[in-house]
Amino acid sequence: MTVLEIVLLVLGIAGVALSCLGLLTARDAYLRLHYLGPASSLGTPLIIAALVVHEGLSFSAVKLVLIGVLLIGSGAVTVAAFGRATAQRDGLIDTDSPA
Amino acid sequence: MGAAVLLVVGMLPAVVVAGRGRVLDRLAGLAMAGVVATLDMLLLSEGYQRSSYVDAGLVLAALSLTGSLVFARLVVRQ
Repeated sequence: MTVLEIVLLVLGIAGVALSCLGLLTARDAYLRLHYLGPASSLGTPLIIAALVVHEGLSFSAVKLVLIGVLLIGSGAVTVAAFGRATAQRDGLIDTDSPA
Repeated sequence: MGAAVLLVVGMLPAVVVAGRGRVLDRLAGLAMAGVVATLDMLLLSEGYQRSSYVDAGLVLAALSLTGSLVFARLVVRQ
């Protein structure tokens, strides 16, 4: 492994690990949602980048990028959906509200 | 080694969060566990040189998103 791959991998794993530890220590559901974002939008791209650099240009690298895009997109969508669901459960917004 | 670190430091807190508290707190833990499991699959595929693990990661990423959204929808309707 090259130095670049190791640096990207360590930073990515640190990002995901810190997000997980933050998830564990957060006090309520809204604070917890803040830790879901960095795991998918910061840690995931770094880990995927490390693996793509290691693989080089290949079909496997394309699959890795596809998974990365899926995870990054799903992180944002999940946070928005959970935030909305939590607000509806707490009665902050109407259950029939479209937004 | 990266996969092992991620499995211990990442998956354990996610499983703990998914196993206690209100239902939406648990869902946050489940979503985090999905992300960590997918990344772990990718790292394990590199570690063991098995490309089929990447396919498992791809399926897991897609199903994790779908499952989380369905759970969030059902929890509100409860």
